[in-house]
Amino acid sequence: MEARVTRYIAQRLVLLVPVLLGILVITFSMLRLIPGDPARIMLGEHATEESIARFREAMGLDDPIHVQFWRYLTNILHGDLGRAIRTNEKVTVELMQRLPATVELTFGAMFLACLIGIIAGIISAYYHNSVIDLGTMVGALVGVSMPVFWLGLILMFIFGFKLKWLPPSGRLTVGVELQSLTDFFLAGAAEGTWLYKLKPITDFLSNFYILTAVLTGNGKALWDTVKHLILPSLALGSIPAAIIARMTRSSLLEVLGEDYIRTARAKGLAERVVLFGHAMKNAFLPIITVVGLQFGSLLGGAILTETIFSWPGMGRLVVDRILARDYPVVQGAVLVIALIFVIVNLLVDISYAYLDPRIRYGS
Amino acid sequence: MADVPESIPTAKTRAAELQLPPQTTLYLDALRRLVRNRLAIAGMVILGLLLICAIFAEQLAPYDPIAQELLLRRQPPSAQHWMGMDEVGRDILSRVIFGARISLQIGVVSVSLAIVVGALLGAIAGYKGGWVDDLIMRIMDILLAFPSLLLAIAVVAILGPGLMNMLYAIAFVSIPVYARIVRASVLSVKAQDYILAARAIGVPSTRILFRNVLPNCLTPLIVQGTLGIATAILDAAGLSFLGLGARPPTPEWGAMLGQGRGSVFTAPHIVIFPGLAIMMTVLGFNLLGDGLRDALDPRLRI
Repeated sequence: MEARVTRYIAQRLVLLVPVLLGILVITFSMLRLIPGDPARIMLGEHATEESIARFREAMGLDDPIHVQFWRYLTNILHGDLGRAIRTNEKVTVELMQRLPATVELTFGAMFLACLIGIIAGIISAYYHNSVIDLGTMVGALVGVSMPVFWLGLILMFIFGFKLKWLPPSGRLTVGVELQSLTDFFLAGAAEGTWLYKLKPITDFLSNFYILTAVLTGNGKALWDTVKHLILPSLALGSIPAAIIARMTRSSLLEVLGEDYIRTARAKGLAERVVLFGHAMKNAFLPIITVVGLQFGSLLGGAILTETIFSWPGMGRLVVDRILARDYPVVQGAVLVIALIFVIVNLLVDISYAYLDPRIRYGS
Repeated sequence: MADVPESIPTAKTRAAELQLPPQTTLYLDALRRLVRNRLAIAGMVILGLLLICAIFAEQLAPYDPIAQELLLRRQPPSAQHWMGMDEVGRDILSRVIFGARISLQIGVVSVSLAIVVGALLGAIAGYKGGWVDDLIMRIMDILLAFPSLLLAIAVVAILGPGLMNMLYAIAFVSIPVYARIVRASVLSVKAQDYILAARAIGVPSTRILFRNVLPNCLTPLIVQGTLGIATAILDAAGLSFLGLGARPPTPEWGAMLGQGRGSVFTAPHIVIFPGLAIMMTVLGFNLLGDGLRDALDPRLRI
């Protein structure tokens, strides 16, 4: 790797430290900033004084604030996010169970958004200033303005209820069997063997339904999960699709005006080769940036989409537990989503720096 | 004294003689470009209608937005109730009209709050520089490290659900954008000669900041503010939809959707109309914002 890119990555990583610390301070403060006594609020109105005192003791809420923060930091470094109040389950376990569903949904949404957005953008740029162009761009404007949760409900009504083409909610039809990876690969492994040690990993990966269906060669379950994924992905991907379409159009239009495109056409290359071989190649960089930047809004939008489609992901977990005042889970989920967001943004910036030699940090 | 010309040529008549374009200001120019932009006009028409709904809600709404006619629950649109009745028998049209008032207020107030705080922080950061700049902008970076809707949800989780708390949450998460805009403008203006000259003749810094520096940030702030209202209204609707914002029976569009979503299969009109209202409002602000950007800064045109 070039020195330029290495230096850029190093500088970005250094800058990441205060941001990470800030995220930790914010998630830590969440619990402490609640007006009133957090213990009383979390345990509800009917809790006895004794149980509240016990809870405060167990959570360490009576310690000085810097002691609490230090404990929070060390616990996180040990992978301990505390226990959920509602289920008494470890927060990390709850989050790990839900994370794959959200990842599957965001990737599904991004895939559809790129597919629709890039195709619409190319068509729009190619038929610049025509009725098709105007129609696509007005469509994109409407797409950006549409509430995700409303589009979700409408899609559910039309395709899930009226036409019955696709399942309206959930991840897998009741009755469709999907063997977990643990059962499939570790069936014969006895406790204590090295193979058995892989169990947490296979348990985690089993929650990626598409991956599991592919690895276990289960075609029926694969088709079923893909069908469940389409509507939520469409709803969640609508805004990014519109933004990608606009970016593709403007980026491609700029490139199509360049001299080398005229040269390519003049020497008699097929229009297809000019468009995809010459123009698209150079128009791609801004599109990639926009795609990367949209991941953040997807993580936010996933909260709404998951709620509508009963999608058992992190977003729905956050909403459910806010309403149930289960703050340790909310805290943990906010932390994990923010970390994912920061890491994705970092990767986007780095890949951009790698692709575009003009980018240099600080200059 | 016979050869004195009848009129002494002024700058104006000279310009007319030379066929120079009439003198104009940045904002007059922008206005001219704006009214030529058909999409921006469409946006302004939508927003105008909404504003009328918001101001004259009492006069326009045919029914009381929170009165319930339990016998007419989930009734589809009819001659008496153009948008039908909701899941507890309230007139949806009246609620949509009153909802305009709430959504516009949320959008405008939260963005104004964010602009005031953000502009102040950005101006201080850009003008002072050094560790003050570093501190403020690092804090802004941290806020930007969260997806905005998630951060707003987290703030509401702390403050407790409710309309005002949601408004603060949305204002809070929008602060970094405005701080960045103002800081960037301040930095670019600060190095100009006329600022140096003002400082040299002893103009106090606050006066320089307000008279010379901040007016230069106005253009990007107007554009971003208009687009920001669209985002704020969308986010507010989302939070209310989740039950974290406006409480029943407030006629807030997102809350109407959230409470009515159980009826989506049996009575889709309950969901369709509030959603359309949100979409049209957001579209209006987006169209106007895009138009303003093209009009105020033709270089940014995409």
